[in-house]
Parts: sequence; structure tokens; C-alpha cells
Amino acid sequence: MIVVDHLTKRYSKTLAVDDLSFEVKPGVVTGFLGPNGSGKSTTMRIILGLDHATKGGATINGKSYHDLKSPLHEVGALLDAKAVHPGRTARNHLRALAASNKIKSARVDEVLEFAGISSVANKKVGGFSMGMSQRLGIAGALLGDPEVLLFDEPVNGLDPEGIKWIREFFQSLAKEGRTVFVSSHLMSEMAVSADQIIVIGRGKFITQGSVDDLTATVQGTVFVRASDPQRLTTALRAEQGVVQEINDNGLSVSGLTSDQVGEIAFGAGVVLHELTPQRASLEEVFMDLTADSVEYGSHPTGAA
Amino acid sequence: MNGDVTLLSATKAEWIKFRSVRSTIMGVIVTFVLTIGLGALITTAVRGHYNEMDPLRKLTFDPVSTSLGGTLFAQFAVGVIGALFITSEFSSGSIRSTLAAVPHRTRLALSKLIVLFVSLFVMCEVACFITFQLGQAIFSGAVPTASLSSGAVLRSVLFAGIYLTLLSIIGYSLGLILRQSAASISVFTSLLLILPIVIFLLPQSWQNHVAKFEPSALGQSMMSPTTAVNSFGAVSALLILTLYVVVVFGVGVTLLNRRDAGASQ
Repeated sequence: MIVVDHLTKRYSKTLAVDDLSFEVKPGVVTGFLGPNGSGKSTTMRIILGLDHATKGGATINGKSYHDLKSPLHEVGALLDAKAVHPGRTARNHLRALAASNKIKSARVDEVLEFAGISSVANKKVGGFSMGMSQRLGIAGALLGDPEVLLFDEPVNGLDPEGIKWIREFFQSLAKEGRTVFVSSHLMSEMAVSADQIIVIGRGKFITQGSVDDLTATVQGTVFVRASDPQRLTTALRAEQGVVQEINDNGLSVSGLTSDQVGEIAFGAGVVLHELTPQRASLEEVFMDLTADSVEYGSHPTGAA
Repeated sequence: MNGDVTLLSATKAEWIKFRSVRSTIMGVIVTFVLTIGLGALITTAVRGHYNEMDPLRKLTFDPVSTSLGGTLFAQFAVGVIGALFITSEFSSGSIRSTLAAVPHRTRLALSKLIVLFVSLFVMCEVACFITFQLGQAIFSGAVPTASLSSGAVLRSVLFAGIYLTLLSIIGYSLGLILRQSAASISVFTSLLLILPIVIFLLPQSWQNHVAKFEPSALGQSMMSPTTAVNSFGAVSALLILTLYVVVVFGVGVTLLNRRDAGASQ
């Protein structure tokens, strides 16, 4: 279990993480979602004791990372797959990590095999593709067979087969009762690989829940086509509905359920040709949740 | 738990890292080539015009430090070995996985120090004894020679190796402080080359008191069987250089502990 408690991190000018609190529980894959620059990596680095918190902090199984006696046996992490000395072979990189935590060298071969990079184990890491580096990073995270695993943007650079492999791998780790914490800036990725999602923006906590919970927080719209759109619009607006004209007789209604729209149309004597509830896509939910907190957003010129 | 990270296990890991990159191997080769090769070149040249030297120079001629002349060049190679041992971790970002495996930063810094000290000590002593013996062999017959049977001569050769070892630790400590290869190597080189030039610009009376504190002057004192004017004795020079190492390394460890290690450089 990972607990982040009122964590604040300020770099000289920017506030990277702002009073962030959440818990990551064992047994499920927890997604850590936020736009680029929202503080995901910073939070992960502080959990791993690499960066110092300005205020608050993070614990793993009740202990700060610095107090872990044998960290690789308790926590496995993949932060930046390319952060390996390019002149060292994959095997030597893992052997050194293993030696520091008294892990047997036989385990190095096991994780190389598991990650599917045995054949390049004696090659220099500098020549690795992003996908191979990710696999090496995953092998490193598994060295100590830890209960808690953190992965920062692990699907970056993986091919479709690798992405499928890693999703199934996360699920199997979680099924074994481990804590699996995976960051991504892609909602669609989280939707298929995570059970629980924590959303942050500009270093602040936004929301937390299952994929279904999150979709429910953003109310969907109702698409309706009617014989007399003008009359229907008037009737819907009278009931606090927000109506937008789409095209030939089509209206997009928000703020009302499809049942309510149907009843209002009946009351107003308008014949409906179509009545379709539109569930917000996860991508829309994410955009909606983080709209105010995108650091590097593109804004239409002119319009304020 | 028996998987606990200790200074010993961290040192084993650093030993694997130290010898598994080409820069170390190259550094070792260059150190040997410079110490022994240039030593042979210098002694051969001296043998060639020893007879033309004026009597005063012949009187103060020291076959020991002359035969160890290659160390003046090898000192740059060992500094680079030391600096790269840590700056490559910062430039590649591997410091993150290193610190995730060994979160106790002072322990990490010490484990690297141990690996560097032991391996450089062995290597530099071998190189210095070889170049000394080779130099005396080249001198023999034409130029006065020295023998290891003299305590002062043995000390000089031994201290030459220690001088190089300590300089590699200074390079490493500068790497801890500056975190960038180029910056660390520049500062290291400046300490050895530019500092003497700056001190040379001071009035003569000041130079006599200040110049002997330069790292390279301390090295000369350490490698001489006799104590020259306006310089320290070999043991005092060793102690002063060791003090430098302790201070620079102390600053490096303090900064390593205080700084964030996560963000890229």
C-alpha cells in the first residue's frame, strides 16, 4: 500500500505538487492519470525518495522509502526506461542492482527471461529501442519480487504486442495481491489497464474512482430528433435543459435524462423521431476533469 | 532481514558498475600508458643529456621523482576516471535506479569511494613501481640511480601511487558537487594547471608561502625522497592532500544528500 499524505513539492518557481493526498491499495491496478506536467512523475520520484518533499510526504507499507532496509525486495519501480548507462550491458546493469540488495544472480537471468530480453542481455543498453529499454526497466523492477510496483508511463514506446503483454502482466501482478501503481497521460490506456484511477491536474488531486465511477461523474447528453425542434427546445429550456442545435432537427440536450426528455416532449405534444442517450467517453471525462489544469494547452486564438 | 543493503553489498554493486563500462577500462589503459610510457620517455631523454647538465643541476638531480615524471600526466587520467564514475550516473539518469536500490546516500557515496580508492590504489602502485624500476634501468650506467632499499625512496614511489589515488577521489568528489562530466573535468584540470599559473602571478614572497599548498606541488613533495626549499615534507604533504580530499568529498556527500536526485540534469 502506498499512502501520499498532503504532499507538496515546490521547485524554485513552480509548484509541481500541491497538497496531494491519496492511497494506492493492494490487489488492484491503480492508474495515475493527469496531463503532461501535472506532477505524476514528481509524485512518483518523491514516493521513491529521489526528490525531497517540500511539505507532507509519502509512505510505502507505512514506512518512508528511505527507511526501507532492502528496498528492491519491497518496491519495484520503472521511472525512466532510458535512464541506464548506455555503455553497460543489460545483464551487468541488473547484476549491479541485484548485488546491492543481495539478490542472487540466478534471479537476473529469470527476470531477463520473463521480460523477453534474454537474447540481448549481453548487448549494450545504448543500442536498445524504447520498447527493449521498457522491458529492461520492468525486469529491474521485478528483481526483488516486490509487493509494491510503480511504473511511470510504461507503455510509451511499446509495440501493440508489448502493450497487450504489459496490461496482462499488471493484472496478473494485482491478482497476486500486489500493489500496482501505473501512471499515464492517456485516459484510453488507463480505461483498459486500470481498475482504479486517480486523476490529478496541476499537482492537485481531482478525483478518484473506478472507470465507471468516473464516467458517471460527468453527465452524458441526450441526442433527440423531433418533428418540431423549436417547440421542443422551448419546452426543454423551461425544464432547465441545456439545448444545442446539431443539424436537421437534431438537438443535443444536457442536464436532463433521456426519460425526462421523452416525458417533456410528450407533454408538449412533439413527435420524437429519435431519442438516444450519449454516454460521455472516458476521453471526454478526462478532458472535462482536467480542462482547467492543462499546463500546455492549445487555446483558440482571439476567443477568451 | 538478510537482504538488507549494507556498505559491503553496495560496494559489490559499485564494483560491478565500475568495471562494466568502457570509460573505466580506457582510463586504466591511459593511466598506465602515461605513467610508464612517458616515464620511459622522460628518463631516456634525461639520460641523453645528463652529461651536458650544469654542475648545480647535477647536484640536485633526483632520479626518483624524475623517473616518476609520467604521473604528472597520468594525474589527469585518474581525475577523469573518478569524475566519470559519478557524473555518468547523473548524465544517463541511472542515479535514479542506483538510489532506488541504495536509498542511503552517504552509504552510496562511500561505496563508490571504496571501489575507486582500492582499485586505483592497486593500479597506480603497480604503475608507479614499474615506471620507477624501468626508469632506474634506463638511467643505470649513465646517470645516478636510486634503489628501493632506501626507506625514503620506497616512500616516494609508494606516495606517488597514493597521490594519483587521492587525485581520482578529488575528481570523484568534484563530480558529486558539479554533476556534469565537462564541468567536473574542467575544474579538476584548472586546479592542477591554472591554479599554479594564478599563484605564479603573486609577489615572490607570497608564492613561497602559497605555492606549496597547490595539489600538484603537494604531489611533487610526496614523490621526492628529500624535502626541497619552500615545500612540505612528504608526510606533511600527504596529510594536507588527504585533508583536501576529506573536505571536497564531505561537500559532495552533503550536496548529494540535500539535492533532489530525480529530475534530469
